[in-house]
Amino acid sequence: MFEKLKLFKRKKQDDRTYARDNLSDLFRFKYSCFKMLLDSNAEFLKVISDIEEKLQGQQVFGMSYVRSRSAKAVFHALRMVKNLDDLSGHRYSSLFETFEKINSNINEIIKKKKEDLPSENILPYSVITAEMADWVGGKNANLGEVLNKAGLPIPNGFAVAIRAFKSFMLKTGLFDQVSKKKMEIDPDNPETLITISEDIRKLIISTKLPPELEEAIMLAYANLVESAAAINTSGSSFMVSMRSSAIGEDGELSAAGQYLSKLNVPKEQIISAYKEIAASLYTPHAISYRLNKGIRDEDIGMSVGCLQMVESVASGVMYSRNPLNLLEKNIIITAVLGLGPYAVSGVITPDSYIVDRDGQIVSAEISQKTVKLVCKPDGGLMEVLVADDFRHKPCLLPEHIRILAEYAQKLENHYGCSQDIEWALDAKGNISILQSRPLRAEQFGKTIPITPVLTAYPLLIEKGMTVSGGVGIGPAFLVASDDDLLNFPEGSVLIARHSSPKLVMAMKKAKAIVTDIGNIAGHMASLAREFAVPTIVNANVATTTIPSGMEITVDAYSGRVYQGRVTELESFQNTGQFPMKNTPVYNILREVSDWVVPLNLMDARSPNFTPASCKSLHDISRLVHEFSYSEMFQLSDFVSDRKGIAFKLKCAIPLDLYVIDLGGGLTENNQDFKDIHPDKIASVPFKALLNGILHEDFHQTQLRPIEFKGFMSVMREQMLSPPSVVERFGDRSYALISDKYLNFSSRVGYHYSILDTYCSQTVNMNYITFSFKGGAADDTRKNRRVRAIALILQASDFAVEVTGDKVDARYQKHEKTLIEQKLDMLGRLLQFTRQMDMLMTNEASVDALSKNFLAGKYNLE
Amino acid sequence: MKIIRLLLVDDEEDFRTTLAARLKRRNLDISDAGSGEDALELLKQKSFDVAIVDIKMPGMDGIETLRHIKKIDPLMEVILLTGHASIEAGIEGIKSGAYDYIIKPCNIDALLDKIEDAHRRRFIEEGHGKELTQDK
Repeated sequence: MFEKLKLFKRKKQDDRTYARDNLSDLFRFKYSCFKMLLDSNAEFLKVISDIEEKLQGQQVFGMSYVRSRSAKAVFHALRMVKNLDDLSGHRYSSLFETFEKINSNINEIIKKKKEDLPSENILPYSVITAEMADWVGGKNANLGEVLNKAGLPIPNGFAVAIRAFKSFMLKTGLFDQVSKKKMEIDPDNPETLITISEDIRKLIISTKLPPELEEAIMLAYANLVESAAAINTSGSSFMVSMRSSAIGEDGELSAAGQYLSKLNVPKEQIISAYKEIAASLYTPHAISYRLNKGIRDEDIGMSVGCLQMVESVASGVMYSRNPLNLLEKNIIITAVLGLGPYAVSGVITPDSYIVDRDGQIVSAEISQKTVKLVCKPDGGLMEVLVADDFRHKPCLLPEHIRILAEYAQKLENHYGCSQDIEWALDAKGNISILQSRPLRAEQFGKTIPITPVLTAYPLLIEKGMTVSGGVGIGPAFLVASDDDLLNFPEGSVLIARHSSPKLVMAMKKAKAIVTDIGNIAGHMASLAREFAVPTIVNANVATTTIPSGMEITVDAYSGRVYQGRVTELESFQNTGQFPMKNTPVYNILREVSDWVVPLNLMDARSPNFTPASCKSLHDISRLVHEFSYSEMFQLSDFVSDRKGIAFKLKCAIPLDLYVIDLGGGLTENNQDFKDIHPDKIASVPFKALLNGILHEDFHQTQLRPIEFKGFMSVMREQMLSPPSVVERFGDRSYALISDKYLNFSSRVGYHYSILDTYCSQTVNMNYITFSFKGGAADDTRKNRRVRAIALILQASDFAVEVTGDKVDARYQKHEKTLIEQKLDMLGRLLQFTRQMDMLMTNEASVDALSKNFLAGKYNLE
Repeated sequence: MKIIRLLLVDDEEDFRTTLAARLKRRNLDISDAGSGEDALELLKQKSFDVAIVDIKMPGMDGIETLRHIKKIDPLMEVILLTGHASIEAGIEGIKSGAYDYIIKPCNIDALLDKIEDAHRRRFIEEGHGKELTQDK
């Protein structure tokens, strides 16, 4: 009898262990699906913003861009669908069909465009335009555009096309050798990166070019010499400058001057210089950048521009506007004697001139010149002393400055935005443009004031959030109803309470858009950027302070709105000049983007929020992201109902919190208890989190009287929400723990949060991921709460992404103590958000609540 | 901790041996094959939980190997690892049932996590844990 009982007891324990292990596997599996899904969602949204930016038509791109970006969007949408389907136990298989329909439409469009890469290895600049970025790289394409479309002089020359690079890499077997070498990089060991980068570059430099390629380059050089000789009869040996012009998703690298360029290259060194420049694709920095971004070597390539060496007497950089103050109409020119590298390297102080639009010098700072960089007769550069007579003289004559100012304005007009320009002046007084690129002013999602406050005009909005930069001037028109939208007068500034996809109807007619509340990642924001309509959201008081009919000036560079026509800002209005627009490549991107970018599924509570209604990849990602949260929660509900696996946490405040130990999470084997006391917790991350949750300031504030309006809003939501999403009005939290691991999901009212963390002595393995989804209360309140949380997390050094009513935040590779501190903070934040629900009565509460929290004021009476 | 039966398929012998060595300390039972064809041969003798398959291989490529593996053992999980295959191959791979698509070289801990996650998927797809999510 006694034996039997013992046996029975053991069986019961085995069952529990079995169930617990299974549960652990099930949970970790589901969480891994959720994590992959979030990861792909973030990547997907990045592709979307990038495409939107390109659709403005100011940046050059080619078909390889269209192809690689759409493939990336497709891949991540598919990966999201797959992981939701796995997460849900295959209840969303129909989404694969929806996905496939959209995918095949995209493929059709891309297939239409034939692979019309030119058969030439060499292209003279006289035939190059911005559309040819795929063939000759962005820098060369832009230089061709300057010559042929903007009609300004550049040095004579030709581009060795990407095609030449590819044939060099493929025909010689270099590509395979390089790929093989790259496999030896151990991402955990930076030393290997440096040695392998060196090996690869040596390999490229020591490999012979295919003979036909070498011949083609040397023939092009001979032609260049000949055509130049007709103009220039000086008998000295003919030197070239060779400039890198890479393709691929490495805009940032090219911009940062990461790739090699060589000046004053003699004939006999052209081929080796070409190889050195090609090899600069494999510097340690460039390799690790691509590894981190997941950019494949197939998608990169190096074109080299080969230009007649301008033995410049002066050279430098100019900005068509002041980058720190776009309002200044003046052009800024910096100049050094001799060759350009010293103008940017900071070795010497350049002359700097501020010049007005007519080319008149407003002010000049003439530096003391001691040295300059010049060409060595046999190739390469050298530093020489500046003759005494020239040390105090300006580098440029007034007539040069006038021409430069004219060029700067022509380039700005051609590209439709402010430019950052490199130039050179030769001994005969000819000025050539060496490079022109957009001067980056406003940054997406951030408002860095780059225009000063103009005190001569009444300031109506001081600090809105820039969604799409620029300036718009016109009479205000308040939109409160659909009728208002239909009657929206052309050329007005649209003012509305919320950003909404409906506003798109009037967008093309609007000079600018200002909303009290809005989302920088929303649908309207996307379109505003695409149509280049200056747009400010979160202006808070626009609808209450700006009456219809008042003439206003929207400065979306700095998030401000002025009363009246601000003449200083007039010239920043959209000129409609976009070099890429209506090119064939642009049109393909436009067509593809129709299947990728538009978001039609706006409202998660609408009966149309279904797989069948998805019309774009963006719709799919939105739907999947939304559904993934409820899937994660259904699981916790099942689990917390099961006895013997989950223990209820007993503590001072009423928390419906269940704990499951995966091993090492409790101080003793607790299998026979029903409840568990907090001091029995051994899990390091869970202890830290609980510390925050049980913070004494929250003890008294459990049930606070709520504002009636807020309460009604919560109730209404409960009635309107579909039962699958909202199962009950109450809290339930759930912690899966081991000694160093914690997965904590909680539902308070209708908001969900999921936290996953690893906290150990090994810094590299430590991370926290935290996702929060707004629940009860109407969209506006949800959005406010989400923004307040985002502000708090940002201020606490998390990387934060906001999508609709969801926040995904990450904090990784930090020391154990820091991870513990952040978990404590998150514990407090979770408690804090319980009260936040009803308090989000106005816009000011977003800032106020986040500030309170960060200041440690948790009691919100 | 359960032993995971892992199959490495890659034509680069160096890569296979380095990876196998780096994964050795962990709780894995590792076999390897130098081609898709060899991998399928091996599958006749032994079953595996998870395979890591290179996409670009001479002869039978990774996607084709994946499709054959899924025919032989639909529950076996395949992680596609690639040095220089296109993201289009990743799309094809996932459509053909790959667990995930990773670009190499990759962090060894991340890869190990991926292997464990893939193994859990197999375990779940076999029907384990089902009783936990069914209504009582």
